[in-house]
Amino acid sequence: MSEVIKVDIWSDVQCPWCYIGKRKFEAGAELFDGEVEVEYHSFELSPDTPVEYEGTPVQYLSERKGMPVAQVEEMLERVTGIAKAVGLDYDYDHVHQTNTVISHELIHFAKSKGRQLEMKERLLKAYFVNGEHVGRIPDLVAIAVELGYDEAEVTEALESHRFLADVKADVALAQEYGIQGVPFFVIDGKYGVSGAQEAEAFANVLAQVKSERETV
Amino acid sequence: MTDSLITSSPKPLLIVGDAEAAACEGDFCAIPDHHEQAVVNRALDSDLV
Repeated sequence: MSEVIKVDIWSDVQCPWCYIGKRKFEAGAELFDGEVEVEYHSFELSPDTPVEYEGTPVQYLSERKGMPVAQVEEMLERVTGIAKAVGLDYDYDHVHQTNTVISHELIHFAKSKGRQLEMKERLLKAYFVNGEHVGRIPDLVAIAVELGYDEAEVTEALESHRFLADVKADVALAQEYGIQGVPFFVIDGKYGVSGAQEAEAFANVLAQVKSERETV
Repeated sequence: MTDSLITSSPKPLLIVGDAEAAACEGDFCAIPDHHEQAVVNRALDSDLV
């Protein structure tokens, strides 16, 4: 049996705990004495959000959840502080709330080129740190071109929605697993870990899988 | 380590770890109280507070 442990991660580009959880998982994988292979899967937290949402994340959450603006601002400030603790500089003043389905298509496009992890990280950074728009095709193409992809090829892939079926397949698989929130980690196809756990928690599950394999 | 099973899945998963870990469901991302305490504890450990 292969020594590499497969980890499937469901995540959305505009999910603050997904980026924080990514860093914590990476720290856990560093603590683990073994090899890990990661594959990201699409999850849409707000598939009904328009690409061209005009408001801020504060307005969005306040409208959606009926929460006072001050309460939402306080909540985002707290999340920003937690992100800072794992080395991420969230900039909610410049975040563009949007629909992320095409960004998921771009991640699948990158996966078809064997570069999924790089694109996933770049899009999370685009949304939370750089204040870039991750819903519009021209903006996503610009990010892809920056990473060295062919502009015409990536434009065609996104405009034709060639990878939309892959996005929907990921979402369907999440439903089959019963995944309701993200980030969600499926480790070795056996263990499910929900949320931005501490690094040690991820390391413990990986060590558990390794131990089970050694005793088979 | 084992807390529960997801039984609706064709491949049941053994759910492990902190059941209260921070996650986003729908358009809402809750902040568990213990998460904030952990951040404060880390700051204390680092002499930042």
